[in-house]
Order: sequence, then structure tokens, then C-alpha cells
Amino acid sequence: MTPSIGGGVASALQLLWVLLAGPLALGLMRKVRSRLEGREGASVLQPLRDLRKLSTKQRTRPTDSTWVFAAAPVVLVASAVVAAAFSPLVTLSALLATRVDFVAILFVLLLGSVSLLLGALDTGTAFAGMGASRAAMVGAMVEPALLVAILAMSLGVGTSNLSRLVGVGVTTSTLAGPARILALVSFFIAILAETGRLPVDNPATHLELTMIHEAMVLEYAGPDLALVTLGESARLVLLLGLFANLALPWGIALGTGALALVGGLLAVSIKVGLVAVAVSVFEVTTAKIRLFRIPELLAGAFLLGVLSVISAVALR
Amino acid sequence: MTILFVAFLACAGASALAGALMPRQGRVLASAVLLIGASTFALVLAGRVVSTGSDFTWSRSTLLPLGGLAIRLSPLGALFVILSGLVAAASSLYWIGYAHHSLNARSAATAFCLFVLGLLAVPMAGNVTTFLFAWELMALSSLALVAHDHARRRDAIAAARWYAVMTQGGAVAITFSLAGLAAHAHSTSFVRIATGATSLTSGAASTFFLLALVGFASKSGAVPLHVWLPRAHAEAPGPVSALMSGAMVNLGIYGIILVGRVLLHGGEQWWWLVVSAVGGVTAIVGALYAATSKDVKRLLAYSTSDNMGLVMMALGASGLTLATGHPAVAALALVTALVLVVNHSLFKSTLFFAAGSVHAATHSRNMDELGGLARVMPVTALTFLAGTLAVSAIPPLNGFTGEWLLFQSLLHALGAHGVAATITVTLAVAAVALTGGLTIIAFVKAYGITFLGRGRSASALEAHEAGPTMRVAASLTALACLVTGVAPYAVIGVVNRALDNGPNSPVAGWVTLRLTPLTGALTPLYLSAALAGAVILVVAWRALVTRASGYARVATLEPWGSGRHNQTARMQYTATSFGEPIMRVFDDVLRPDHDVDVSHVVESRYYLEHISYRSANEDIVERALYRPLARSLDWWARHTRAIANGSVHRYLAYGLVALVIILVVVQ
Amino acid sequence: MSLSYVSLLDLAVVVVMVTAALTLWRQSLAAAVKALAVQGVGLAAVAVILGAHRHDLVLVGVGGLVLVIKAVAAPWLIGRVVAHDHAAREASPLINVPASLVGAGVLTLLAFAATRDVVALVGTPAGRLIPFGVAIVLIGFFSMVVRRRAVSQIVGLLTIDNGIALTAFLGTSGVPLVVELGVTLDVLLAVVVLQVLVAQLQRHFNVHDLDQLRDLHD
Repeated sequence: MTPSIGGGVASALQLLWVLLAGPLALGLMRKVRSRLEGREGASVLQPLRDLRKLSTKQRTRPTDSTWVFAAAPVVLVASAVVAAAFSPLVTLSALLATRVDFVAILFVLLLGSVSLLLGALDTGTAFAGMGASRAAMVGAMVEPALLVAILAMSLGVGTSNLSRLVGVGVTTSTLAGPARILALVSFFIAILAETGRLPVDNPATHLELTMIHEAMVLEYAGPDLALVTLGESARLVLLLGLFANLALPWGIALGTGALALVGGLLAVSIKVGLVAVAVSVFEVTTAKIRLFRIPELLAGAFLLGVLSVISAVALR
Repeated sequence: MTILFVAFLACAGASALAGALMPRQGRVLASAVLLIGASTFALVLAGRVVSTGSDFTWSRSTLLPLGGLAIRLSPLGALFVILSGLVAAASSLYWIGYAHHSLNARSAATAFCLFVLGLLAVPMAGNVTTFLFAWELMALSSLALVAHDHARRRDAIAAARWYAVMTQGGAVAITFSLAGLAAHAHSTSFVRIATGATSLTSGAASTFFLLALVGFASKSGAVPLHVWLPRAHAEAPGPVSALMSGAMVNLGIYGIILVGRVLLHGGEQWWWLVVSAVGGVTAIVGALYAATSKDVKRLLAYSTSDNMGLVMMALGASGLTLATGHPAVAALALVTALVLVVNHSLFKSTLFFAAGSVHAATHSRNMDELGGLARVMPVTALTFLAGTLAVSAIPPLNGFTGEWLLFQSLLHALGAHGVAATITVTLAVAAVALTGGLTIIAFVKAYGITFLGRGRSASALEAHEAGPTMRVAASLTALACLVTGVAPYAVIGVVNRALDNGPNSPVAGWVTLRLTPLTGALTPLYLSAALAGAVILVVAWRALVTRASGYARVATLEPWGSGRHNQTARMQYTATSFGEPIMRVFDDVLRPDHDVDVSHVVESRYYLEHISYRSANEDIVERALYRPLARSLDWWARHTRAIANGSVHRYLAYGLVALVIILVVVQ
Repeated sequence: MSLSYVSLLDLAVVVVMVTAALTLWRQSLAAAVKALAVQGVGLAAVAVILGAHRHDLVLVGVGGLVLVIKAVAAPWLIGRVVAHDHAAREASPLINVPASLVGAGVLTLLAFAATRDVVALVGTPAGRLIPFGVAIVLIGFFSMVVRRRAVSQIVGLLTIDNGIALTAFLGTSGVPLVVELGVTLDVLLAVVVLQVLVAQLQRHFNVHDLDQLRDLHD
């Protein structure tokens, strides 16, 4: 498939979708949480309002920081939107859909993670260093689980191309094989860890010592903080969207026709909304686990991935 | 082409002479310029061999005993000559600046030139004698370079001792293997050996392969023969570390391919299972120690071990699939192995250049004493950052395509049937994934703690940027990492030609890499362009809202310290604390040694008088395997001392007895 | 998504497999017992699905028996012990959790390798799931080796038994009812005895860790 105008439109649509759906998903998850805890909670639109407010504030930097500190949020957002533009979220026929695979998307996202880690270390404070150290540990444990899950899913299809991985569920009925289910469960646990949700990290914490991700970004303010929030939420919906499409590919557009794109947009929004609500409900019922129990969780995800690979090989 | 070869030899010889004879003034400059010339000639020669696809041969039977000096540069060897040549040229350039700091003595300069000559000559060798001669030239000259600073640093002696034992032990194994093969073929020529090896019994072939594997894998830092590598690579001066990590370890891989694939034609499946298994263990051990190391050069050295482990996994997957009848996957995996080697050479020499500059500027390799160097050494910091992203396999740097190809190779190898393949490859993917995560920890730490934040010691605060040639050398290799990351076919194309893959090459395409006949495609070019575009857009957005907000400048503030003012540099996270979570997670594997010593004030236990903390993270293989080995050797040595009491007559008698025994036995 | 016989069977076996992994994964003993109950349900489902497919009413009956004993009775009995225990956690297994999970992965690979010939010999859709049965036996054994608590030992024993039963269901054209009945009741008896024993141990010696029993021998 050569790059086409339709593909370009689709990619632009997906790019804008993650930027908008990210904050909305955050708002939705907070709203669900509040309601379940018996509070009214802020509007679903609150994260968007926060972003607008932040963008009118002054930028700050710590005394001894370098350009790395200022570049990190930019790279975070850029990596997230690039990954989103080429992934099968709304349609299977986005730009470069045949030439970018799951591994590539993963490593593009990794660029954002690493830049955030470096931005944290650039502040020269103990908190940011602590956050970076913990986030790096979690990241290092997440990667095996993610890669093995990707491998397991790819094995059944013979390629790691994401559009094919999603598309195979649209065109055939062999979706719910045990290998795929195991891989998806493993993938989901890895997503929770990667995006810093409970039980791995508490996104709402205000106590520095319990933070992982929040400790890293303590020094950001104004437009930079807006970018960090935007980038993180875009990653969240991108990963949730990929998960939703891999698990339930129904509704995703096959081509790039206007009607199909609108349908795909609706489908992915509804699916991600449902997954976000589910994550939120799960978060209310669970507690954050100790930092050094995280490897146990991810080792479990890894084992599921290995079982999935074995199932894929044994049951083909 | 002969003229190119002679020019190469002449330049290399002249550089060694210049190093030995020139006065201190201009000695290094002359040697380095001549070395760059020699490398260039070798590069052009190798380039022509790769592009024409025909071997270059040259021989003088009188120059060496047992078959004479024979050069036979095949396209495969030419790839390694190109790598050695590129790294050697950059290192020589770097050396010019580095010589103000160290490595300017007569002996060191000569050894440096001979080391480069050896590195370039090993892949050119056309027979066993030439190969072993070049191999020893490389080993001994690098040994001299590791030990050259022994007067000032005790660690250098220990490193040299380890290196000497391991490299000579490896050389013995290689010699036995190659000599055995040559004896079987009744010729030392590699071509004859390859044709003769078809009649080898399976047992003999396996023995020769395993012997060669021991020798070559030890050169590439494979566990458990890696113990010399983190010491020697760390203790060696900057440009020598770059040469060792960027060029010398490659030759171990070259050796494995030469013996396993070229001379023994792929051999048996279980050989490659062994190679894969060794590679997997090596990758994990290397990555773990890199993630927990606080010495920046030791970290880089362990990462070299880790990367060679990945290469061995790809090699193993290639041999495995070849033996089980999946030539397409085998070809892909072999290309992957060589692409990984090329990428590693480029980014690791960049990293060692930058680390050498840091060491030269601060006289310290301990990251716990460094910090904030990005402000005083901006170019060095930038090159190290490029290396960091490359080694972490992050787009748009070159490590990314290597990692992608490795994943594709393993995915398709797993698609190929076979129980052994399934188990090894599943474990290999797990190992690759785990090392990927650990590598990111190691290098975020290396860059973040060394170059970002605040300086943790006086020497870090007073450091100055490295000299111009050092900066240029590091920048050139860093640039190469970027270019080969955006356009990986620049590397893959050469590798395809070196492997003589012809029109059916397993990976091809300037814009989009496509696997044929397997499925898989990647376009690093468009991906990089999209990333660059997105960064520009986001920066533009930020500039827009900043202007709209009316704040003219970025406020510089004291960072948050939970209400505490006047945070000092010592409050920052250090390399040790950054790696602590991983140390704890892998406590049972690493078994680090912690010791906290607390003494209280006499009057009250609630006031501390003195607290000291010591932690050591010694290599578990060294502790568990080599310590007992050294102790038992020591015991034997003590107990056999009686037969050597210093009497000359007794020694002569031993000789006589031995002679008589030999005569009787031979009779 | 077609809910065919094969995919249902696959799913049921995967449930049994994952619950076996869960008993290693979670340190909480209550969670392990819950996992065991789900495992019993999965095992019963395997028997019922196979029975329905082969029109073998006896096998369906065995499935019902398995459901009663392994999904309800045995977990309930063990659950009573756990409920009386204040610190119902596997505090310090001999091998830490991540390592034991990796070990379980390797054992599964081994089981897969070891049963290749058997799988080829049986050659039915059910037959290719045999590696999982063997893997569950190995994982049960492994968890008995690395876990200290008496309750964990019982859970491991039951996992082994479930693995054997699963292998038998998948490998043969059906176990004779008498044999299955005997084995299942034997296990139930063992669980009852162990349950009484553990409860007595807790009451008399306040011992949870089987290794501490070594002190009793003199």
C-alpha cells in the first residue's frame, strides 16, 4: 500500500483523537472513581480545562537543568502522537500501516519514556532521581512481558504487523484462541504498569515517597506540565485503544472512506471508554502494591506470555 | 588491488616505526596520521572486495613458517576489515587529542599501531598461520596497552593479568582447533580446510568447533569467559577501549562464523543451541551488571558483553534454522547478527570515546563522583546521548533496526518447527526483552548521572570540554549511528553483499526494509521524519502558548525539596542509588555485598557518632567459578614447588629424562 | 467467534493452566484456594466437554463428580484451615515469586518438549493439549518443593492430582468410572486427613512451616 491521501487523513484523525481522548479518558476515569467512592467528582472535561489553564502559565526550570529538561515533554508528546498516527486505532489503513509493526510502535513509545527519565535526572533533585529510578525499574520489568506478549500474538499470524494482528480478528473467527487470550491478559497487565495505573503506581498520590511517575515530573510547570499530562494521557489511550482493538476488533474501519472513518472513530472511542471505566472500577477495588512486589506482578504477566507462546506453538 | 594492500602494510608499518622512533614531540601525531592512512587503504581495499564480490589474495611463502604469509580477503572478512578500519581511523583521530592526557609513551604508541595492524589483519588472513600470527599480534599489543599505566594504577596490573590468562588460554584453544583442522586437510589454507572438512567425522568436527568456540567466545566476552572484559576494557586508555569494544570483540564473532559456517559448513544443530544458550546467559549477565555498575567504563564493558550475547543469539538462531532446513530464516538471522555487530561497533566506540573524554577531564570513572558534565562538556554529552539512545534501541538511532531485525529473526525462527528451536527461541526472546529493559536502566543511569544534574565532586565541577580531535572523532561515530539508524540499508546492503546474498537478500530496501520471503516491513526513514516533524510541531505549539501567555522568559527556580532549602549536589540520586531497585530485585542472582557500620555516641544510642556504608558488587561468575579455580591452582603450584628447587643440574636431568621418554615412546 | 468444541476445550484447559500458575503467583493462601476451586471448575468443564463431544455420559458424570469434589468440597475443607489462620500468607517461599514463576515457565517448556511424541501418537484435538496436563503436574510438584506452608503443600498436591486427571482425560478415550471414582475419593480422603493434621499442628505447636517439623523428630 503506498502512502495515500486517505491514509494521511486517517493518521491525522488518529493523532488528534489521542490528544483529545487522552484527557477525556483521564476525566472519565476520575469521574467513575469519584462516583464509586460516593463523591460527585469533577466534570469529565476537567483535565482539558486544566490543560488550557496550564498553557497560560509561565514555564519554569530548575537552576541546574540543561536543554534535556525542556526537551523531554516535547519528545514525550511527539513520540506518543507518532505512535498513534501509525497504529490501527480508527482504521486498519492508516499511513504506513503496512510498514510499521508492533515492535516499532513499542520502541517509539520507549523514546518518550526514556526522555522523561532523563528529564527527571536533569533536575538534580532526590525526588526526581527516585522517581526515575523506580520508573526505570518498572519499565525494565514491563518490557519482557510486553515483548513476549507481542511475540505470542504475532506467532498465530506470522507477522508482527499491527494492522494484520488486528485485522485477523475482523476477517476470521479464530479470535479467541487460548494463546491470544493469554497474550492479551499479559499485555493488559503490562499496560497498567507501563502507564502507571494502580496497582503499580497511584496516579492521584500527593506524597512524594509513594510516587513513581509523579515524582519524576514534580519540576514541570505551565505549558511543560501540560505537555507531560497530554503525552502521558495520549499514551494511555493509545495503549488502551490497541488493547481494545486487539481484543475486540469490531467496528474498526477497514479502508479510509469518510463514513468508515466516522464509524471507526465512534467504535474506538466507545471501546476505550468502556476499558477505561473497567480500569477505573478495578482501581477502586484494589490497593497499590509495594514497590518490590511489582516484579512479582510482572513476572506473572511474563509467565502468561510464555504460556501464550507455548499455546500458540502447541495448538497451531 | 595489490597496491592498496602494500600501501596499507607500508603505512601501518611506518606508523609503528614512527611510534617507536620519533621524539615525544609529534610522535603521536605522526603515528595517528599514518594509521588513519593505513585504515583508509584497508577500507578502500575491503570496499572493493565487497563491491566486486571476489576475494583479494596475496601471499609470500617465505615470510612465515608453516604455509607462509597468505592473505585472502573474502567479502565476509572485508566487512570486518571495514568495521575495524572505521573504528581504527576514528580512534586514531581521537588518540591525537587523548595523548595530551595519557598514552603518549614510546612503547604505548608502538603497541597502539601494532594493535590496529592486528585488528585489520585478522580478517584478511587466508591461512591458519597468518590468522594465528595476526591474532597474537592483536592480543599481545592490546595486553601491553591495558598494562601500560601499571606504574600509576594497581587495577591496571590486575586487569592485565586477567586479560593475559584469558586471551592466551583462548588462543591455545583456537590454535588446537585450527591446527587440528589443518592437519586433517593437510594444508593450512582456509580454502583447503573448508573442502577437506566435509570428510571429518562428526565427533572431530564437534570437538574442533567447541574448541574454537571457547577461544572466540572468550574474546567476545561470553559468560563464563567474560571476566577479563569488564576489567580490561575499563582499565585501558580511552581510544584503546574503543578499539577493543568496537573492533576486537567483533573478531570473536568473525571467528565463530569462520569456523562454524565457512570452514565446517554449518555443522550440527546442537552446536548452535550451545551458541544460543551461551549468548542468552551472556546477554542477561552483561545487562544485569551494566545496570548495577557505578563505574562508567565498566558499565560500557558489561554492555559490550550483553550486545555480543545478542549477536550470539542471532548466530545461534541462524545455525539452528539452517540445520533444521529453514534457509530463509537462517539467512535473515545471519544478516541480523552482522547488522548487530556493525551497529554495536559504531555506538560503542562513540560511547567509549565520550567516556574516555570524561575520564580525561575529571580523572574519575566513578559516576557517584560525577554529574552535571553536560554544561561543561556539551559536545561530549551530546555524543554520549546519541550512543545511549542507540544502545537502548530507540529510534531514530541505529540500535533500533538491529533490535527489530533480532525480534523478526526470533519470531520467524519460532515459526519454524522443532522442539529444541521452540524452547531456545522462546527463552531467547525472554532474554532479549529482559536485556532491553536492563540496558535502558544502565544507560539512562550512565547518561543521566554522569552528564545531567549537578556535579558531585570538585573534579566534576572543574572539568573542561575534550580537545577538538576527540570531539570530532566522537561526533563522527555518533553521526554514523544516526545516519545508519535513519537509513539502515547503508549497513544492511553491505552485509548482504558480504554474505553474497545476491538478488534474494533476506532484507532489503532503502526507504522500507522488507523481509523476503518472510513477512515483515519497517520504515525507519519515515518514522524518523515523522518524529522530527512532531517534535517541531510541539515546539511550535509551546512557543505559541508561551508568547500568548505574556511571560517573556523561563523562570529559573530552586527545585522542590519538600520544603527544604539549599539542596546540595550530594542529595541527588547517585548511580548506586539509581541501580538499587534492580539490585534488590535480582538480589538472589547478584548477591551483592552490603555492610553498614554504625557507631553510637557513648551517652545515648539515639545519636550517631559515625556511620559508614560499603557495598561491593563483584561479578558472581568471578566469585563462584574463578576464585575456587585460582585457589586450587595455587594449591597445586605450592605442592609442586618441591620438584623445582633451583638446582640447574636437576632441571637438566628433567630434560634428559623427558628426551629419553620421548625416544622410547616414539620408538 | 465460533464456540466450537475445540475452542471450548482449549479455553477450559487454559483456565486450568492459568490457575495452576496463579497458585504460584499469589502469596495469599486464600487466593490460592480460590484458584484451586476455579481449577476444579475448569477440570470438570474439560470432562463435561469431552463427554458431550464423545457422547459419553459416564465421562459427563465424572465431570459432575470432579465438580463436586475438586471445585467445592476440597477447597472448602482447605478454606476452613486458612480461615483459622491469622497470617494466611506464604511468607517466605524457598524461591522468591518472580524466580518461581520463571521456573514454572521453564517447566512448561520442558513438558511441551517431553510430550511431543505422545502428542503425535494421540493425534486428536484433545491430545495436543496433553503438554498442559504434564506441565500442571510439574508446576504442582514445583510448588510443593518451594513452598513452606502446610496448606501450600496441600494445594500443590491437589494441583498434581488435577494435572494427572487432566492428562488422563485428554490422553485416553475416557477413564473407567471406577478408577476415576477411586482416585478422586482417595484425594478427598487425603485432603481430609491433611486438613485435620494441619489444624491439629496449628493448635498444638503453632507451626505453619513444615521445615519447623524437623525439630520434632527427637
